[in-house]
Amino acid sequence: MNLLALHRVTKAFGGLVAVNDLSLEVRPGEIFALIGPNGAGKSTTFNLISGLLPPDHGRMLFDGADLTAAKPHERARAGIGRTFQLMQPFHDMTVIENVMVGELFGHTIPKSLDAARRDGEAICALVGLSQLMERQVTELGVADLKRLEIARALATHPRLLLLDEVMAGLTPTEARQAIATIRQIRGQGVAVLLIDHVMSSVRDLAERVAVLNFGSKIAEGSFEDVARNHDVIEAYLGEEAGDAG
Amino acid sequence: MAAVVLLVMIILPVWASRAQPYYLQVALNVLIFAVLALSWDLLARTGQLSLAHAAFYGLGGYTTTLLTTRAGVPIAAGILAGGIVAVVAAIALGMLTLRLRGIYFAIATLAFSETLRVITKQLRFTGGSAGLVAPPLLGGSLPAQYAVILGILLLAVLTSWQVSRSRWRYAFTAIRTNEEVAAVMGVNVVRFKVLAFAISAFFAGVTGAYYAHVFLFINPFEAYSLAVSVGALVAPIFGGLYTTIGPLLGATALRVGEEALRSTVRSGSQILYGLILAVVILYMPRGLLGVWASMVSRRARRAPGASTKGAS
Repeated sequence: MNLLALHRVTKAFGGLVAVNDLSLEVRPGEIFALIGPNGAGKSTTFNLISGLLPPDHGRMLFDGADLTAAKPHERARAGIGRTFQLMQPFHDMTVIENVMVGELFGHTIPKSLDAARRDGEAICALVGLSQLMERQVTELGVADLKRLEIARALATHPRLLLLDEVMAGLTPTEARQAIATIRQIRGQGVAVLLIDHVMSSVRDLAERVAVLNFGSKIAEGSFEDVARNHDVIEAYLGEEAGDAG
Repeated sequence: MAAVVLLVMIILPVWASRAQPYYLQVALNVLIFAVLALSWDLLARTGQLSLAHAAFYGLGGYTTTLLTTRAGVPIAAGILAGGIVAVVAAIALGMLTLRLRGIYFAIATLAFSETLRVITKQLRFTGGSAGLVAPPLLGGSLPAQYAVILGILLLAVLTSWQVSRSRWRYAFTAIRTNEEVAAVMGVNVVRFKVLAFAISAFFAGVTGAYYAHVFLFINPFEAYSLAVSVGALVAPIFGGLYTTIGPLLGATALRVGEEALRSTVRSGSQILYGLILAVVILYMPRGLLGVWASMVSRRARRAPGASTKGAS
């Protein structure tokens, strides 16, 4: 059975249809990439899945339950975690306190402060933030802030993790570390749905890829399949060729 | 430290009731102001910057005055009822203003407060613009009245401490910084915003009710005065936001300072007061507590080997 199923979801902002009749399935434990040119509707899709935007039409099932009308915090507790493209740490808190928010509130059974801190420390260790746990987030650099984004999403112990451009702005070494972390997270049985512009990362990580253009899905399959797809080359890779020319 | 402050606050009325009732009156005003400031700060911790504190204060005052004079309700019950009516109003207002942020939220809450004032002025049973006379609390004994507001303040301080030591602090701070991120991390944003509103309004309502029975008179202009709302937000900013000590410090410094200026400067004391306020807010953005914190960290840095913060 699918872990996540979007069924014919549409979202329009005024006259602009950001997501158009989109159906998407993510299986348990897989790494699935959502790619497409800027403005294709990828981030809107993430907002629909995490509940920050209500869809105009369509339904969303998660682990068999209909979550179409569920609030964001209910989806978090059901097992959907996400990061944000623009890093938005809670700047009045330390690193570990940021992570503890998810530990404290992202579960159906409430945790004590001590348990939340202990479990939060384990997550900081997983993403490589152990040395920085007591720092104010304002002291962190870009790579560490990206790690914090992932750590906060993991703190709700998701079964589906939505990663919005976590590779952007990283050096090649940092990107390799991020890829290793994502594989490790998947190794624990978490399905990963990721948006990324770094094609080498998508090729290395994703088992399946869906391509969006103007809010519609134009291709789906393995990276090699979609890379050969004529529509995709025109819509997405063609744009890059146009930039180069 | 806290014990010493508490001791002084308890001894003060005993001493003052014999020697200097004036100081006791000033201290009582300081405590009223401190409860309002702390209650405003509790709401602000969720990012909701309210200009409606006068609304809850006024609602509390009118509720208890009407109940005690028209329905024969005991004053203590009337004051409690004032707090409860304020909570009900806060939940209603909180639900309406959920989607508003920053300045839009502030304007909506100000409109709520102004509307209540106009309605109260028009209605006959609230005494219109002439206002109402309220019965005295505890037979008008100043030391006893002082003890009551001290008790209310202690309750507010304990509430604030509990909030800052519990999981609520994490929810409040997360919501203040970014509601959307807080929500996707599992925080029930609506619940905590309305909860903060209710707690905050309870203390404002109780204080307004208390005020009516101490000053024995209530009218729409004083009860729903913008000065109350502005005072409630200036004190935490002056003392240090999102803390328990900051609003208390700010309220004390402002009220005592204002009183001292009034008794020493013959004319223009209000102008001087405003000037000091402006300078402090401009040059001490984190308030008195911020100044204290940077003084401590500077001294720690100067003392060699004393600082462990850099190494950790």
